[in-house]
Amino acid sequence: MEVTRIPAINPVAKRLDRRREYALARKQVRESLVSVAGLIGRPVRDQAGRDIGRLVDILVRHGETTYPPVSGLIVKVGPRSSFINGAQIATLTQDEIRLSSSKINLEEFIRRDGESLLDADVIDHQIVDVDGMRVVRSSDLYLAQLDRAFRVVGVDVSFVSFLRRIFPGAIRRRPTPDRVLDWAAVASLADGEGSVRTADSRSVLGQMRPADLADLIEDLHGREQEALIDLLEPEVAADALEEMEPQELLGLMRGLTAQKAAGLLTHMEPDESAEVLRDLREGHRESVLAAMSDENAQQLRELVEFDEKLAGGIMTTRMVIVHESQTVAQALTSLVEQSDRGATDGVVVVDDAGLLLDHVQVLELVAADPNAPMSEVIGPPWPTSVHLDTPFGVVIEEFTNNRGSSIVVVDEENKPVGHILADDLVDALIAGTERRWPWQTGGSAS
Amino acid sequence: MTVSTKSVKSRRGFRLAAFFAVMGPGILAGLSDDDPAGITTYSVLGANYGYRMLWVLVASTIALVLFQDLGARIGVVTRQGLIGLIRQKYGARSGVLSASTLIVANVGTMTAEFAGIAAGGQIFGFSKYITVPFAAILVTSLVIRGSFGRVQGVFFLLSAVFLAYVIAGFMAHPNWGKAFTGTIVPSMPITHDAILIATATLGTTLAPWGLTFIQSYAVDKRLTRDDLRLLRVDVWIGSILTGVIGFFVVVTAAATLNAHHIKIIDASDAAAALQPFAGRLAKEIFAIGLIGAALLAASILPLSTAYAASDLMGRPAAVDDKLREAPLFYGTFAAVTVLGAGLVLIPGAPLVTILILTQVLNAILLLPLLLYMFGIARDRRIMGEYVSARPILAVYLTFIVIVTLAIAAMLWYSFR
Repeated sequence: MEVTRIPAINPVAKRLDRRREYALARKQVRESLVSVAGLIGRPVRDQAGRDIGRLVDILVRHGETTYPPVSGLIVKVGPRSSFINGAQIATLTQDEIRLSSSKINLEEFIRRDGESLLDADVIDHQIVDVDGMRVVRSSDLYLAQLDRAFRVVGVDVSFVSFLRRIFPGAIRRRPTPDRVLDWAAVASLADGEGSVRTADSRSVLGQMRPADLADLIEDLHGREQEALIDLLEPEVAADALEEMEPQELLGLMRGLTAQKAAGLLTHMEPDESAEVLRDLREGHRESVLAAMSDENAQQLRELVEFDEKLAGGIMTTRMVIVHESQTVAQALTSLVEQSDRGATDGVVVVDDAGLLLDHVQVLELVAADPNAPMSEVIGPPWPTSVHLDTPFGVVIEEFTNNRGSSIVVVDEENKPVGHILADDLVDALIAGTERRWPWQTGGSAS
Repeated sequence: MTVSTKSVKSRRGFRLAAFFAVMGPGILAGLSDDDPAGITTYSVLGANYGYRMLWVLVASTIALVLFQDLGARIGVVTRQGLIGLIRQKYGARSGVLSASTLIVANVGTMTAEFAGIAAGGQIFGFSKYITVPFAAILVTSLVIRGSFGRVQGVFFLLSAVFLAYVIAGFMAHPNWGKAFTGTIVPSMPITHDAILIATATLGTTLAPWGLTFIQSYAVDKRLTRDDLRLLRVDVWIGSILTGVIGFFVVVTAAATLNAHHIKIIDASDAAAALQPFAGRLAKEIFAIGLIGAALLAASILPLSTAYAASDLMGRPAAVDDKLREAPLFYGTFAAVTVLGAGLVLIPGAPLVTILILTQVLNAILLLPLLLYMFGIARDRRIMGEYVSARPILAVYLTFIVIVTLAIAAMLWYSFR
């Protein structure tokens, strides 16, 4: 279906890989671009060249193609602003807009979903540069004729273009496309109702590493931040949130409605969710839990109760539990099935009563006969297990003594309820040692 | 039933902790308005007019409560700084103009803060060539190296220094009856000097950088709509404390300097002049207050400037950011500090001219900022359900008119 992409001439990418900007320096490219900021305030004329009014804003429609077409103009005719359908545009240059007939339909402007006003909603608002993975304010937008329509093709984020706009007359109008982002590589989040999404930016966002996405989310504010999260698939968003700084994540969750927060928290690792919930104000926490399914809420409620300084507060609840009568092959299958739900280094084997028998490493499983029941695989070395309310310091001691890669956490009846992996310990240790000065080394693990 | 009583109890205990977590923007933005320029203005007000113009301070405090509250609310609701919002709503021209004026005015005010540190240090016999660079390095390394929590902790510690003025006030044995009358009964001589000092009092309390700071700081602190009620408490406490400290400075000056008809030029004069009447200790306490106030303002001012510059350009701005992540933010911070300190240290620099021009610039900038805030407050697309209602908008407008008249009068008398 595709419209041609703006050629990415001379990418300045080498300076810093975070700063990929496209320099559209070539003269013909520059001449075919129309600056939206420069167009605002220019005359709109009819076929015969008579002034109808002055341009106030440009409306574009999102969603159907990568580069959104101009769907209408807001024109100041006399004392009031009217809407002119985009189909009536004949020519659009930097100096004026010509309409295709002399009979002009002036309509009342009504905001609709999927449309946004370029000057009011996009210019000077925050946008996400998906390629550069950062948040910027747009200084200007460029239109070009593509596929027989005027479309938004680029976002200018340079300071020069921003400064240009404070000057009067012709300086303000001349496009200065030095650091222009391809519209396809941008997620513009400012819109009346929801978020503006281009098909491309969405898929690119989905492919980003969770840690990079987390940085992006942290850079955004308020409505834009929420819009970016809305743009992501819930699982992708949840993965990114897990990578955020705890304080940032808490700030984000506090600003969300209970429904949205609940939706995200249920997709996150339960122990990470519990950590967030623990720090929310009581009233807010209750409304978030109320917005979840009973099962999820119940599980999280229990986790929230645990003290962060005890094994129950550090552990991860997602683990693979198999019955001793299942075969090695079955155990391996369940491991693979659940591998996307966080790191797993083996399976926990239980008996009929659900009590802990053994923790079997992946390596042992691979080496064993696939058809053998798990009861034949279990044996020394026996796993290290700690009780839910074992203090943090003792957990560390157990870890160092056994050099095992994980510790199983059990309740009073010796039923496995979770396990502690090395990264959980690292997280817990970091949380206790937020130090920045060189002479403040380490933290106490008491 | 026992469960419910328990939860009520724990919630009450929790409230105070919750307040401690929210507090900061209002208290810091307010108290930093009582900087050396502020203390000087209050001292002159007390030295020249005694207790009779204390009511000006009350009016200024009300204006401070109103607009700091609005600024904090805008910050929490939009999670953007004022300058960024001005760019977004009013366009490039307004954004650049207000940001650049703010930056120039802030450099000037920064000079005033370092001049205050120099003057305070001289009372204890330290040369300005030691105190000023030391203060500049202290402030910069604190903000660059410290996490948000640590930086705020140091700010709170500095704020405790303001108690010094309360102590000095009591040591001066003021006439409390007259002070009370002056606070609630408005009266003033209609003279050139009186109008000037009244406007200066309003202007030093309601400073442009305070307004942009409180909004950006609330954003940086990641406060949310849930925190708005507690934040309002913080703003009220901060603003009223600001007024109360101003009150004690005026009262101290009225009881000593005014009673003995001594005229002063700046706050260190006021401190030195205290000695014969209230003792050497009172003088030193006053000077400590001056240094602490200057240090707090000298940390907040470059922060306010750095937020504004980053906000205008749409670059990251947070105290928790690392140096490499936010070069513009920390660069602006350092530049403002170095420029301010440099201007004080250059021998023969026209300090008095700089300070007067700064005051004029701040006064001129205040008006558009208040109008922009007013415009944002009534914009439903920006503020959503937190858009201001008509009655409160009318109150804002009334105060904007008063500020306009005061500024017009001041400019008229300054350049006639």
